[in-house]
Amino acid sequence: MEQIENNIEQQNNIITFKGITFYVIEHLDSLNINETINYHAVLINGKDELFIRQIVKRIRSHKNPNIYLKPVFLLKGVNIIDPLINQLIDGTLFSLDQIPFIKKEVEKILTKNEEIQFTRQISFEAQMIVKIITYMYSREMSTLTPIPYYNSDVNYTYPPLSVNFGHTEEYAIFSIFEQAEYDGIFTSEFVDRIYLCSQCSNGRMSYREVCPKCNSSNSKTDDIIHHFPCGYVGPMNDFTNEIDDELDCPKCNKRLRHIGVDYDKPSVIHECLNCSHRFQDYFVKAKCLSCHHDNSVEQLKSKVIRKYKLTQKGIYAAVNGFVTTSKDIEEIVGTVKYDTFKTMLKYEIERLKQTEGSSNICAIHINNPNEIYSVIGSEAQKGMLKDLVRIIRSNIRSADVITFQNSSTIVLSMYEIPKKSATRILAEIIVILERLLKTAFKGVEIQFEINVVQLDYKISHELHLHNLTKDFT
Amino acid sequence: MEEILDNYIRFLVSLTPGHFIRLFWFYIFFEFTRYFVIEFIILNLAKLSRYLNRNKYDKAKAEFLFEYPLISILVPGKNEGKHLHKLVNSLKEQTYQNIEIIVVDDGSDDDTPIIGRSLEKAGKIDLFLRNEVRGGKASAANLAYRYAKGKYIVHLDADCSYDRDAIEQIILPFYLDDNIGGVGGNVMVRNYKESLATTLQAIEYYDTISIGRRVTSYLGWYRIISGAFGAFRKDLLDNIKGWDIGPGLDGDITVKIRKLGYKIYFADQAVCLTSAPKNFKILAKQRLRWDKSIIRFRIRKHRDVLSPNKHFKFSSFLSFVENITFSVILNIKWYIYAADMLINYPSSILNIFITNILLYTFTNFLKYILYSLYRNRSHTKMYEFLIYIPCMVFYFGFYLRVVRTIAHFQEFVFKKSYEDPWNPIKTSTHAKEMGL
Ligand SMILES: [Zn+2]
Ligand SMILES: [Zn+2]
Ligand SMILES: [Zn+2]
Repeated sequence: MEQIENNIEQQNNIITFKGITFYVIEHLDSLNINETINYHAVLINGKDELFIRQIVKRIRSHKNPNIYLKPVFLLKGVNIIDPLINQLIDGTLFSLDQIPFIKKEVEKILTKNEEIQFTRQISFEAQMIVKIITYMYSREMSTLTPIPYYNSDVNYTYPPLSVNFGHTEEYAIFSIFEQAEYDGIFTSEFVDRIYLCSQCSNGRMSYREVCPKCNSSNSKTDDIIHHFPCGYVGPMNDFTNEIDDELDCPKCNKRLRHIGVDYDKPSVIHECLNCSHRFQDYFVKAKCLSCHHDNSVEQLKSKVIRKYKLTQKGIYAAVNGFVTTSKDIEEIVGTVKYDTFKTMLKYEIERLKQTEGSSNICAIHINNPNEIYSVIGSEAQKGMLKDLVRIIRSNIRSADVITFQNSSTIVLSMYEIPKKSATRILAEIIVILERLLKTAFKGVEIQFEINVVQLDYKISHELHLHNLTKDFT
Repeated sequence: MEEILDNYIRFLVSLTPGHFIRLFWFYIFFEFTRYFVIEFIILNLAKLSRYLNRNKYDKAKAEFLFEYPLISILVPGKNEGKHLHKLVNSLKEQTYQNIEIIVVDDGSDDDTPIIGRSLEKAGKIDLFLRNEVRGGKASAANLAYRYAKGKYIVHLDADCSYDRDAIEQIILPFYLDDNIGGVGGNVMVRNYKESLATTLQAIEYYDTISIGRRVTSYLGWYRIISGAFGAFRKDLLDNIKGWDIGPGLDGDITVKIRKLGYKIYFADQAVCLTSAPKNFKILAKQRLRWDKSIIRFRIRKHRDVLSPNKHFKFSSFLSFVENITFSVILNIKWYIYAADMLINYPSSILNIFITNILLYTFTNFLKYILYSLYRNRSHTKMYEFLIYIPCMVFYFGFYLRVVRTIAHFQEFVFKKSYEDPWNPIKTSTHAKEMGL
């Protein structure tokens, strides 16, 4: 244990200041990113930009919110120009003495992080959206602004999102933003337009003016001269003589005197030195630096780069750490919206106040959605959810309704039957489900949790729902 | 009215042959003899010669198609973009396909550059050249010609359309005779139904121009290759280095080719349809420009053809005399005739007038019907035009005569053509200074 200054203690690569622990990273070799989870914040001690970028990327692209939301600071105060790094760190220190100055910042971030609950997401898009919005919430960013970036294959970077992609996959950010905006998480504003390779969606291209016939960029350009007195028109070359620098008209042999008076230059002409084709208008070609495809500019895919502002719904989703994109469950037939379900539940509870009887709500929760969804892909996920709903539907009475609380939790009503019967029916459904999924998705083990709550007219419908799912992992 | 008719009948009854000649000498000697009798005889000779030489035609065609030379089609113009698509499509339909299409946009201020570029990109135009600054029709043609690679040059107007075999027909004459340096196409009116003005022009093109050119071509006097459709040997254009500045550049280049010792030929089977000016006001402007240019190029620029020197060639000289006779001297003679009648026969002037109108109308009908036997192609039913024939005497006799008189007066006295807005000022001032 080494005492650096008042209250700052260092032991190996752990620094403690007034109860806040900092994990100091100095080398890549022995780095186990997962260890950072045990400390409040991370200090990166290094000058090499590549090294710093790698650490920052590994932290911010981690799946675990306890890692990707971690406060990260740079030590030694090197001047970093890489905007990706600058956007993804929380501050810079010149020496360890300055740790007291960042205490407040670290505490603020940690407090924010504690406000956030986390639920697992069904689709990849939803996972990514949660990552962005929780990061934005944690850092009190209301707007995600794109930054022009030389290391990006789509020319712009949105650091909290882009950091999750290898540069060849960066094109995926567009569909994620589209989905998020569609679901009301963001509103957006035009910033710029970019052009991407038609073959590989890469934005890094070499633009050249080429011959329209043979695509060669090897050409020369000549002025066209119009001699007024005789009407002769031809390239400058026609007018040059071998003796001096003067220009003489090849038709009337007069010397050209004064531009605008006896001659002018109405245009230019290019001659291809490869195929001798003459033309006035170059083709513009864009050669992709990644796949080497030579795009004509009309072929390029145009994409709009926008900046994104979190909506109220977005902030709410961030705090809940959960996004259900419409993509996930909107098209599943046989279900009602969660809000509709709640309203129906409210009426059922009202009804129970007047009449005697037993009604229940049940929940089926998929315990390991991440595991499943990462294996089977988002289209199959939807198929699987459809299957689940179909089987449940055929085992309950038609008056009962099914809804998704989120993409891994199905809630249904079983009104006007004893709780015992409801539990039995639910158990039967689970048996059928497990059998079906085992054959349909080989190698994937789906774990279900179930719960049944009998309705009690003395408590609210909200509380019923809370009690129904509170014990699920 | 009745009194006029009585008076007129009495006039006709009292007319002796000697008296008839004295009163209608202009009609008898100039109009009827020159423009009907002689023309009709020559037309028959031309037809006969064509028939006798039919083997030569077949041979020429075989030779032409065997050689299959590249033909450069030049389309210079300003704000012609809207016509380009149709033009290009009509050229795609041509029986002869070894062609390159070069379009020059002479400083258009409409969508022409966009249209032209896209056609070039689509490969429908081989070369689209644009001058950001307008240089006039001659410079546009010269720019196109400068980059032409063909053995023959065909000059087109963008707003015209062409018979399927028009290109073939206009090049064919070069293979008939090595001495043919330029060939003019047969221009007809496409919009003849649009208005009275276009109908009368259609008849004029049909009768006077088309038939007239067949006659002059046979005689070797054919003067002006129409800018709407003309073909030239590239080597001759190289020799004279393209067109000089207009207006009247069409006539000018023909004179230059003649001066080189080559013949100009009229290909009546190479048919092109043009849009004629749709009212008499626009038509007057067009004809003023044409008539002025005749003075300018015949009398000023090429006056050397009139005097024997190294360029002298008898047929050129005749063509020249004929042209001037027709357009200038004839015009003056008519005024002499009018004065003669007014001074010597003032009391019979109404009767003379009526008789002249009847005589001219009679000739016009006669020509129209007889000549229709000599036409290879008609694009409308004969009788549709017949009812308009009586108008022709007023069209030729008054309207065109007045326009021509104004043109000659302006050009002789003021050299007005140099101020024609058709050419940019920068080029016209140079032409005027040099007395071109
Ligand atoms: Zn010159
Ligand atoms: Zn080339
Ligand atoms: Zn590519």
